[in-house]
Amino acid sequence: MTRIRLTGLTKVFDGGVTALDRLDLTVEPGEFFALLGPSGCGKTTLLRTMAGLEQATSGTIRFAERDVTRVAPGDRDVAMVFQDYALFPHMTVVDNISYPLKVKGRAKPERTARAEEVGRQLGLEALTARRPSALSGGQQQRVALARAVACRPALFLFDEPLSNLDARLRLEARGFLKRLQRELGVTTVFVTHDQAEALALADRIAVMESGRVRQLGTPREVFARPADTFVANFIGSTPMNLVPAEVEGDRLRVAGGVFAAPQGVVAGSAKVTAGIRPEYLRLHDAEPTDAPDAPTGTVSILENLGATTLVTVDCGGESLSAVVPEDAEPAPGSRVWLTPQPGRLLVYDNDSGELLPRRDPAG
Amino acid sequence: MSPKRSTAAADIGEAAARKTAVALARRVGFYAVTCLISVFFALPLLWLVTAPFDASPAYAIEFPEPTLRNFETILSNPYALPSLLNSLILAVGTALFVVTGAALAAYALSRVRIPGRDALLYVLLLLSSVVTGTAAMVPLFLMVSEVGGAIHPVLGVDSHFSVTLVMTGGLLPAAIFMLKDFVDSIPPSYEESARVFGASPFRVLKDVVVPLITPGLATIAVWSIVNVWGNFLVPFILLRDADKQPAAVLIRTLYTEAGQPNLALLATFSLLYSLPVVAMYLFVSKKYGFRFHGGIKS
Repeated sequence: MTRIRLTGLTKVFDGGVTALDRLDLTVEPGEFFALLGPSGCGKTTLLRTMAGLEQATSGTIRFAERDVTRVAPGDRDVAMVFQDYALFPHMTVVDNISYPLKVKGRAKPERTARAEEVGRQLGLEALTARRPSALSGGQQQRVALARAVACRPALFLFDEPLSNLDARLRLEARGFLKRLQRELGVTTVFVTHDQAEALALADRIAVMESGRVRQLGTPREVFARPADTFVANFIGSTPMNLVPAEVEGDRLRVAGGVFAAPQGVVAGSAKVTAGIRPEYLRLHDAEPTDAPDAPTGTVSILENLGATTLVTVDCGGESLSAVVPEDAEPAPGSRVWLTPQPGRLLVYDNDSGELLPRRDPAG
Repeated sequence: MSPKRSTAAADIGEAAARKTAVALARRVGFYAVTCLISVFFALPLLWLVTAPFDASPAYAIEFPEPTLRNFETILSNPYALPSLLNSLILAVGTALFVVTGAALAAYALSRVRIPGRDALLYVLLLLSSVVTGTAAMVPLFLMVSEVGGAIHPVLGVDSHFSVTLVMTGGLLPAAIFMLKDFVDSIPPSYEESARVFGASPFRVLKDVVVPLITPGLATIAVWSIVNVWGNFLVPFILLRDADKQPAAVLIRTLYTEAGQPNLALLATFSLLYSLPVVAMYLFVSKKYGFRFHGGIKS
C-alpha cells in the first residue's frame, strides 16, 4: 500500500495557463480518493501529472516516500484507466489485459494465465477472444479495469471511469468499482466531475477549483459542512440554498424571517450568506411555536424527485427550496414556514466566501 | 363518388404517370451517357488485352487471329524479363524506404509540437514535386554522378540504390503528409496508456501505432510502387546499363527495324508490365480492404 504525498505541486502549461497552483495533498495508503471539480479545475491535469504524462513545473510527487516527480510514467508502478478506456482495437480482450505484462517482458504462458485469472475475477471469461469493438460499454470498462489490475500496480489512477456509461450501468459499475477497490486494497485516485459519484465512491474527496484544493474531507464532511460557497454550490444533487443574511446578536435575519445563528458566529461580520441544504430544511404549515419569526412564504413550484419532493418557496423576496417526503407535500400556493434542522444552518463570509466561524485559521 | 371528384382523381393519376415517364427517361439518358463514357475508357484497355494475342495488331480493335507468337518473341528478348525484375527491385526498395521513413516522420510530426510544423509540411510537399520533376533532372544527374559516385559507386550513376533514393526523396513528403492524417486520427490515449504501462516510444510505435495505421501504410506502399513502376525519366537518366533498366525504360526500345513502333511487341510487353500492378492492387485490397484515402480522413 502506497501513500501519495504532493508538495507545492505546480503545473503551468506552455500557453501560460496555470492548471495546478502550489498544491499540497496527501492520499493515505489504501484510500479511495476522489478529485472532484468542474471542467477546467485542474483535476485531470493533477491525475496526469501523477501518472507522469505531464511534467510538473515545480513541486514534488512522492509515492511511498520515493520521489517520482521526474520519473518516466512506466517506472512509477501505476496503472491508469482512461476516460475512453484506450483499449487497443487490434488486440483481443486477453491480449489487451496482458499487454502491460508483455511490456514488462513476462513469458507468454504467465501473461495469458494472469490475464485469464484477472478476467475471471472481473467476470470477463466468456469474452476473452473478442475485440474491444465487439464489447458493450460496461464490458469495455471492465476490460480496462482488468488491464490495470493485471499489472498489480502500487497505485490506480482512474480518469472519469464511469462517465462513458449510461445512467443505469453507471450505478452498477459504481458498486463494482467500490467492491473491487476494497478487495484489492490498492491506493486509488479517481477524477470525476460528478459530485454524486464522488460522494458514493470515495473515502475522501478533494474539491478542486482553479488548480487549488477548495476542500478536503470525507464525503459526509464535504456534504454537510462545505468549506466555502463554491463547494456548497457544487456538492449536492439539489443545490444548496445560499441567501443574503444579517447577523443580529445570536440571531440571523434571512429572507424576511429569523433563524437562530450557529454557535460562534459573531455580530462582527454583519453581512453574510446563509447556507442550508434543501434536505435539511423543514416545512411547517403553521407558525412553529418553538421558532417564532421563522421565514414564511408561499409554495411556488413542486418538483417530484421520486420518494421526495423538492418544494420551492417564495419568501421575503428570496426563493428557498426544501426537500419533503412524498406524503408531506404541501399544496401549491399554500403558506408555509421554514426552519433548519438543528446544527445544519451554515454561515459564509460575504467577502471570502468561507464558512464562519473559521475553525482552522491556518488552513 | 361525385363526377367532379373522379375527374380530380384522374388528374392525379395522369400527373403520376407523367412523373414516372420523366423519371424513366432520365434513367435511360443517364445510362446512355454512362455507357458512352465507359466505352471511351474501356476501348484502350480492350486493345491492351486483345492485341498481344493478335498476329498483326493495328490501331484498331478487331477479333484477333489467335496466336501466342508475340509472347514467344518478347520472352526471347534478353532484356524483357530482367527489366521487369529491375522494376520490381526499384519499386519494392523505394516502397520500403518510403513506408519506414514516412511512418517515423508522420508519428513524430503528429505527436511532437514544433513551431511551424504545418508550414514545414507544406514546403516539403511543394519541393517534393521538384525533386523528381523534369526541371531538376540535370542537377540531379550531376549530383548523383559527381557527388554520389565520388563517395561510393552504389550512390553513383548506374546503381539501383541511387535511383531508389532519388525516388524516395520525391515520394516521401507526400507520403508523410498522407500518413500524418492517419496518425492524427488515433486518439493519444492509446499511446499514453501504453506509456503508463512502461512501453518505450519505439515500442508504442510498433505495438500500437503501426497496427492502427496499417491501411495507411498499405496505401502508401501501393502508391509508391505504382509511382516507381510507371516512372520513366529518373531511371532513364540515372541508369545507362541496359541490364539494369526497368520495364518502363525498356518499352522505349520495342521498335521494328524500320523505326516504327512494333505494335505486337509493345502491346504484349505492356500487358506483362501491367499485370503485376493489377495483381498487387487486388491482393492489397483484399488483405487490408483499403480505400484510396488520399489525404482525407474518412
